[in-house]
Amino acid sequence: MTSRAKFIAKVTSSLGRTEVIKPSRDESTAVFDDADTARANADKAMADTAANSIALTDRMAKAASTIGWKVHRVANPADAADVVANICEQKGATSVLRSTHDVLGEINVDAAVTSTGANLGVTEHTGDYDEAKVTESKTAAFAADIGITGVDYAIAETGTVVLHPRSGLSRLVSLAPPTHIAVLRPAEILDSLDELFALERNDHMTRKLAGSMNLISGPSKTADIEGTTVTGIHGPLEVHLIILEND
Amino acid sequence: MPENTPDSPRPEHVTLFASCMVDQLAPAVGESTVDILEYLGITVDFLDDQTCCGQPAFNSGFRSETLPVATRFIELFEQVEGPIVVPSGSCAAMVRNFYGDLFRSDENMTNRAERVGERLYELSEFISRFFGTDAIKGTLADTATYHKCCHLLREIGVDEEPLEILSNVDGLQMTPLDRADVCCGFGGAFSVKMPDISSAILDEKLDNIEANGSNMVIAADTGCVYQMQGGLRRRGSSVQVVHIAEVLAKSISNSSVLGKS
Amino acid sequence: MKPLTTDFRSKAAETMVDEQVLQSLEHVYTGFFKGRLEAAGDTDNWEELRDKGKAIKDHTIAHLDYYLEQLADNVEKNGGSVFFAADSAEARKYVLDLAHARKIKTVIKSKSMVSEEMALAQALIDDGIEAVETDLGEYIIQLSGETPYHLIAPAVHKSRKEVAELLDDNYVEGDPVPDATELTMMAREKLRGVFERADMSVTGVNFAVAESGSITLVTNEGNGRMSTTVPRVHVAVMGMEKIIPSIQDLSTMLRILIRSATGQRISSYVTMVNGPRKSDEEEGPEEFHLVIMDNGRQKLLADEQMRESLNCIRCGACLNACPVYRKVGGHAYGWVYPGPIGAIVTPVLTGLKDAGNLPAASSLCGACHDACPVKINIPRMLLELRYRTAEGSTDKAERTSSVRERTVWKAWRIGMMGRKRFDIGARLSRLFLRPLARKGWLKKAPPPISGWTSTRDFPLVSSSSLKARLSKRSKKAKS
Repeated sequence: MTSRAKFIAKVTSSLGRTEVIKPSRDESTAVFDDADTARANADKAMADTAANSIALTDRMAKAASTIGWKVHRVANPADAADVVANICEQKGATSVLRSTHDVLGEINVDAAVTSTGANLGVTEHTGDYDEAKVTESKTAAFAADIGITGVDYAIAETGTVVLHPRSGLSRLVSLAPPTHIAVLRPAEILDSLDELFALERNDHMTRKLAGSMNLISGPSKTADIEGTTVTGIHGPLEVHLIILEND
Repeated sequence: MPENTPDSPRPEHVTLFASCMVDQLAPAVGESTVDILEYLGITVDFLDDQTCCGQPAFNSGFRSETLPVATRFIELFEQVEGPIVVPSGSCAAMVRNFYGDLFRSDENMTNRAERVGERLYELSEFISRFFGTDAIKGTLADTATYHKCCHLLREIGVDEEPLEILSNVDGLQMTPLDRADVCCGFGGAFSVKMPDISSAILDEKLDNIEANGSNMVIAADTGCVYQMQGGLRRRGSSVQVVHIAEVLAKSISNSSVLGKS
Repeated sequence: MKPLTTDFRSKAAETMVDEQVLQSLEHVYTGFFKGRLEAAGDTDNWEELRDKGKAIKDHTIAHLDYYLEQLADNVEKNGGSVFFAADSAEARKYVLDLAHARKIKTVIKSKSMVSEEMALAQALIDDGIEAVETDLGEYIIQLSGETPYHLIAPAVHKSRKEVAELLDDNYVEGDPVPDATELTMMAREKLRGVFERADMSVTGVNFAVAESGSITLVTNEGNGRMSTTVPRVHVAVMGMEKIIPSIQDLSTMLRILIRSATGQRISSYVTMVNGPRKSDEEEGPEEFHLVIMDNGRQKLLADEQMRESLNCIRCGACLNACPVYRKVGGHAYGWVYPGPIGAIVTPVLTGLKDAGNLPAASSLCGACHDACPVKINIPRMLLELRYRTAEGSTDKAERTSSVRERTVWKAWRIGMMGRKRFDIGARLSRLFLRPLARKGWLKKAPPPISGWTSTRDFPLVSSSSLKARLSKRSKKAKS
């Protein structure tokens, strides 16, 4: 018997049974919702976002600010670019990395960054896995002063930015540099964790679940020394949220 | 807990369950309880044969010793009808919340215990539920603070009602106790089995009591009263710890408003 | 980790005279406990969320075999590997063998209580592999050679000065102590290089999702994210009970976990991993291993009275609420899990015969039950374990009550079985103790209550019982 089979058999007998039985429906957990229900929940989440855009943006700005994002609400791409340039200058940044989110092209982030004299790299990976390239991008991420991304979703309930790492969006670009700038548009803002996980579940039911996901809610922090909250330990010390409200 | 709209109909007769501690250590609490109930217009019966609900042995794990004592309790109190009132949250909790576990292998006793338990009330619970927290209009001029006994608070669910009842005592200046809902460290036999830990927890409670500055601490369970009073005495403090029944009974006898409400 | 539950009384006594540790322990109340209350107060449907969380866990544990199989199948479908470890030795061996097979030089560890059960970091170090704790609290206690003091804040007992002595290479006795920010930046600097070069990580799991084979990590520092990003091999270790059925259940579970742990509405990071890196990613672990550990949990599962303890989501709220924990500290509990949850699981997982003091060390105040996000009835299980140590266990070795104790309660029962003897017993005790008393109070009481008078005055039994007084009253009323 494999160690798995032995293990499971022991669990079954600990539960007072002789074989594994499929659980009957329990309303507490969503696991019994079929694909249609999952899709309906996901559709509702997106519909809520579209319908309540203004309110959600206000809530997002407030929640994000409360948990430590420096929030910048701008009405046009040029203003967004200015915010980026200012941050680069303030930080004396020499090396900046960015993801390939559409919104960054929309605000012409490349020009904004390079205009300050900083170098800009794009965390886009193409081609097959190449250990040398991985080492190179890791080193670049750890050396970078600022990482800039768009967002895949945002959550108004908590002031959270959601990222699904993939080609064009590295795991490190929002983690290793001491400053992270996220550029967000109202159409990306979900009401709450319920909506996010409804979307994720639907992705799972349609076999589109991303390889990983990061929910980012403010700068990194710890209270491990005398219960004093210190902002900025292993992740970014400073995080900026630029909300581009021109749609 | 219900708002201050009393249940009706109001009971006219109750049976008193003293609790072993009140019966032998603090009978004045029992007498005060009778005084309060009579003030509310209720006749009170006392079953002479009563002893204990069994909680001390149960909490120490000696269920074989608890079972006969608890069975005796049920046999005694199922002979009377109507509400049973006890001036103790922990004893009320024992009968209502823990007899089920104690009698778990005996369905018959479980049912009988439930039937007794569903008409058993702690004193301030009884007053607020059937008569309202403004039913007692007494007078007692003093400064006091209230400690929230754990079983009354968490097992019976009585939180603010005693404070509301006390707020209607004329002349009684109540100030909130810091960490009022943190345990005093009594815990029954725990207080003698692990006296160092019990006392460490008590020390914090007493520091908060002394910082509060009131002359009196009011609580609804005799064990907690003695834990705190015993500790305060050892510190040389003159702060008095008094059971809520005694406070209310005194306020009634002080007051010029006598008789039924 | 080797259990030292027999040291409970002595370790507790040490803590209770250590002013600095007692002061540090206040943080769990003023910080975490108050934080949870505030967060719960701000959450309109808090009780509903707790009920839902409890229902999800009840359902999952009741079908744990089914969901474990689903989890394993899905992790493998995602390209990961699963190892079922019967005990911590097997789990440890798996990780060590893997590290050697992959020629690992540096392991970074993110916070995991299960890895403490395994004593994994030291095992790796003993085997010649660099193993570094990266959670700041864990890093601090790794430097001081201690075990965790709290589920969420492992170094909560350490003063800033003690942390400076461990972290600050330039600190000399007598120097002004650097503040928390400076010390934190030192840790950041020290660990950054370690992150960059790490080739394997070991993390815990806050929630494993059965339907998708996902693992979820809840962190604030960023070390959890580093651990699931930088090394080529990622190993996640979990107790077999840390499962929930559906991705969508995460919204409920995250809400109650995070508010209950620290009072935050959400932690800085929530990371979900669905296997090793995908083909369109150039970075991320190439290998994902999930180690699912039993290590005695089957005993809890098979034990109908104790099974509810497996609902625990390891938030630490019970510790923060517990007046005993705040006085005796985390090390007194002698194993990985301190506080009320430790008092009920440690005896079953490591042996009740040595751990009888743990469930006894409680005033049964119920604050833990109140605080628990999934409403685990800890007091009921403390009472159950007390029953077993007193008389109820079928294993004689576990029945550790003394002859004296058994005699006391036998005498108590005899005394309570009749009113006459109840009264006689009371009057006799007054007769014997009155000479020792002054104004109704004793400064020194005899056994079995002598423990009381070491720190408190004890009341003398009344001269007349309530029964006597009431019967006098009614005679008076009738006359």
